[in-house]
Amino acid sequence: MKSCLVVDDSRVIRKVARQILEDLSFETFEAVDGQEALNICRTKMPDAILLDWNMPVMNGIDFLRHLRSEKGGMSPVVVFCTTENDIKHITEAIQAGANEYIMKPFDREIIETKFLEVGLV
Amino acid sequence: MLSAICNARPTHNTGVANMDDLLSEFLTETNENLDTVDAELVRFEKDPTDKAVLDNIFRLVHTVKGTCGFLGLPRLESVAHASENVLGKFRDGELKVSTQAVSLILKSIDAIKIILAELEANEAEPEGDDKELIDKLNEVASGKIVDAAPARAEEHKPETVKSEAKAPVAESKPAPQPETSGTFADGEKKIDPVLNRELLPGEVSMEELEAAFNAAPGPDEDKAPAPVAESPAEPVPAVAVTAVADDHSDEEEAAPSPPKAGKQAQNTDTAAKNSDTSIANQSVRVTVDLLEDLMTMVSELVLTRNQLMQIVRDQEDSKFKVPLQRLNLVTTELQEGVMKTRMQPIGNAWQKLPRIVRDLSHELGKKIELKMLGADTELDRQVLEMIKDPLTHMIRNSADHGLEQPKKRLAAGKPELGTIKLNAYHEGGHVIIQISDDGAGLNIERIKQKAIASGLATEADLEEMSDQQIGNFIFKAGFSTAETITSVSGRGVGMDVVRSNIEKIGGTVDVRTNPGKGSVFTVKIPLTLAIVSALVVESYGERFAIPQISVIELVRASDNSEHKIEELKSSPVLRLRDQLLPLVYLSDVLRMKRKSPAGLSANETPEMGAQTQRGKDDYVVVTQVGDFRFGIVVERVFDTEEIVVKPVAPILRHISVFSGNTILGDGSVIMILDPNGIANMYGNGAIDPDEAGAEAVSSEFAEEKTSLLIFKAGDDTPKAVPLSLIARLEELDVSCVESSNGRDVIQYRGQLMPLVRMSDTHQLRTEGRQQMLVFADETRTMGLAVDSIVDIVEDSLKIELTSDITGVAGTAVIAGRATEIIDVSHYLVAAFPDWFEESRKSRVKRPRSVLLIDDSPFFRNMLAPVLGTAGYKVTAVENADQALALREGGALFDVIVSDIQMPGMSGFELASMIKADQRWQKTPIVAISAHGTPEDFERGRSVGFSDYVVKMDRGALLRSLSETLSVYGEAV
Repeated sequence: MKSCLVVDDSRVIRKVARQILEDLSFETFEAVDGQEALNICRTKMPDAILLDWNMPVMNGIDFLRHLRSEKGGMSPVVVFCTTENDIKHITEAIQAGANEYIMKPFDREIIETKFLEVGLV
Repeated sequence: MLSAICNARPTHNTGVANMDDLLSEFLTETNENLDTVDAELVRFEKDPTDKAVLDNIFRLVHTVKGTCGFLGLPRLESVAHASENVLGKFRDGELKVSTQAVSLILKSIDAIKIILAELEANEAEPEGDDKELIDKLNEVASGKIVDAAPARAEEHKPETVKSEAKAPVAESKPAPQPETSGTFADGEKKIDPVLNRELLPGEVSMEELEAAFNAAPGPDEDKAPAPVAESPAEPVPAVAVTAVADDHSDEEEAAPSPPKAGKQAQNTDTAAKNSDTSIANQSVRVTVDLLEDLMTMVSELVLTRNQLMQIVRDQEDSKFKVPLQRLNLVTTELQEGVMKTRMQPIGNAWQKLPRIVRDLSHELGKKIELKMLGADTELDRQVLEMIKDPLTHMIRNSADHGLEQPKKRLAAGKPELGTIKLNAYHEGGHVIIQISDDGAGLNIERIKQKAIASGLATEADLEEMSDQQIGNFIFKAGFSTAETITSVSGRGVGMDVVRSNIEKIGGTVDVRTNPGKGSVFTVKIPLTLAIVSALVVESYGERFAIPQISVIELVRASDNSEHKIEELKSSPVLRLRDQLLPLVYLSDVLRMKRKSPAGLSANETPEMGAQTQRGKDDYVVVTQVGDFRFGIVVERVFDTEEIVVKPVAPILRHISVFSGNTILGDGSVIMILDPNGIANMYGNGAIDPDEAGAEAVSSEFAEEKTSLLIFKAGDDTPKAVPLSLIARLEELDVSCVESSNGRDVIQYRGQLMPLVRMSDTHQLRTEGRQQMLVFADETRTMGLAVDSIVDIVEDSLKIELTSDITGVAGTAVIAGRATEIIDVSHYLVAAFPDWFEESRKSRVKRPRSVLLIDDSPFFRNMLAPVLGTAGYKVTAVENADQALALREGGALFDVIVSDIQMPGMSGFELASMIKADQRWQKTPIVAISAHGTPEDFERGRSVGFSDYVVKMDRGALLRSLSETLSVYGEAV
């Protein structure tokens, strides 16, 4: 069973994502900000990360940069998932090491498609 | 390497089964976020350079927007988006932070709240859109109306916006086909083919987005020049960051950090964070209902425990003793634990206040600082809910009425910035909340005027009140002293509602004011409503609980103790430390009849039983409701007990004297009394001026209180004389009484003073000390022998029967007893036939006519002979109407002497009427009143009185009349 970490400060979004992911047979973890996500990754690196951009404590982009610099941090598939949809943000995300970039709101179909593309499903 | 970007339609098919669940989660989360935004924005406006605050706000609004899409809430999303857009521009420094812009964002947050409320109620977004508001926000974002006048609030209420379809584009523009280009001819609005909706300002189409994504360099291509100009490609993504959310601005500042240092910082960070996380993971969200149920169950358990304890207490060596003790302990701890779950910091109720104060300071043009102390003071959430509104109102009041305009403040030597301070702390089982301001303090003079105008008190009443007591008038219904009614407060509903709301939860509110320095409102509320400390009392064999918070003291009253229940105007009263305390018999309040009173013979009716029972040995529970203090008479007092308040059954709910019921340790169900309800019921009996209508007020005037000395002389009938007429009370040995010229005299202060007896039959004491009342004039004194001084009372001097007995002006009911009112002038003349001769010297050639208007027969009887002996021709009438009738009849007088406080038309009004009409216009009017303050004098003069004399000062009246007449001379 593959694992996925949902990083978002909104309970609602985490809940939505969890339902979709569990439906796709992912073991799901949640983190409310980048720092918490980083802590989780250090104990158990997930296969995939669904990452929000704007979060308190540590935002998504900073988390990504930290993650990719850590041991084993290159392995998870990181899907940025945000409403920040301008070119500047996308460029930044890709440079920081995002594998995919989807826009909120997402649904099961989108997640499934994306995960198929990156070979997770 | 990257494939197409997809996007969900803003629909409901998020693939999530339980939408209701999600929606309620969303509502909770968003409401929490918005409360924070309100407070943060106010902070932000004060310090626009505070980046951390701005980031916080931005993120919160952003989250709202981001979440909306999942639930298919386009209207909410568009508002959030527009305001996020403006915030984004603030953050990026593209837009200067202005009051107007912040106001606009606050308004958009209000709009969001309205939509949320609707969502909560109907589970759907309300109809209509927020086009105007969004347009304004967009204008601000584009820098068009940075400093324009703030838009009016009404324009932004979603309800008033013209109702348009949910998809505004479809209505306002010819609907474009999805397959056509997303760009319109006018270039303003674009429809994204993927999103199938109009693009929001600043949003790019999905096609463009995808193109950008494809064009963007991946991490492996970062050596290549980035196609998007401003992004500096950085090979090492690891950077040292602090825990503060910093967004993408770190591009510039943090780029070159060596990865190692970054890691080190990270490690220490992590250690700190780990503990935080574990705490976060330990908390569980549960619904309030669950806690309420838990509380109910615990209450039941407490009751059962009490019952068990009661049973076992009577059994000496019960096996249950030890386990029961444990049960007792565990129950107590459980109760405390559950109580704690209901506790919330009071700061939750204050969250909206900074925003309110901010808006007020703009609206009123005042500079206001809100200081909040003790925000972490905890209290029951139920109580918290109920004090929210009263607190908000009091803050508004302080800002509006309390604090002065900046100019006034500077003139008064105060800093321009006014301060409102909120302070909460625990004291005993209560939470005290103080709302203080450093403003002008309450306007006592205005409150007085208002109290008189609205009939809440008479001038005489106010005279005897402290500023604090007068200040408390603001809590009376319909009381507003604001000179101009602002939109903020001063609508006349206010502090009375505040008071009643606070009293509803068993709290009290009080005000202390310091002119020029500010006011302090103190609210005292119980920590919780579920379990209260109560005094258990008995009346007619039934037990009742009275909440401890309203009980001030307990007094035992019996016929032979120093505290005795007396009757005043057939109402029971208790004389307690020189104050008369109105009483109510609990048995009367509840209209209970004694079943079969023990010790009473069978032929006595229950009522008689009650009568004989009364006064024997009663307990008075001294109770305070607001500023009204009264006593509840009960027969027995048990103990105080922690009781669990259970709501009154619906069938009894209309009975205001009960606030609930409870089960005692012995298993009996008893009612909890509501002192508030009793006070109201009692107030309707016309003793509480609070509740009495206009009629009661006019009778209030008739019952102007006078201090009377009650004494006995000659017979058993109590006699009374106005205290103000008496110079001294003396007691002399009877042996000092000498006889001269057939009259009793005594040597008194180096003079011979005649000693007059009440009547010819009245005998002096034969031995011991003789008591006497001394009446004095400028040069002479006279003693009136009495048998005993009974009391000094305040009562209305309403002579009900005139008297034929010489020396008695009439009979009045004083302190519940028929009392003879002494005609002092009779005795004065008896002592000195020429007593009034002095004044006669100033007698004018022709007798002058005086019109005397006084509602009190006593004063008419007293003053008429005084004026008569001084040579005036006196016409006495008892009210203003009669006086005006004389004017209609063509009567003319040289001078008018009028009382001020009279039933119907007051002296002031009469004077104005006289001065307004030609006939008596030139006739001087002299006011007489029982009380004389400089203000009264001033008011008297302003309405046309020539002079103002204190009623009892006979000499002054005569002097005044002769002066007035000489000034007006022969003009009349």
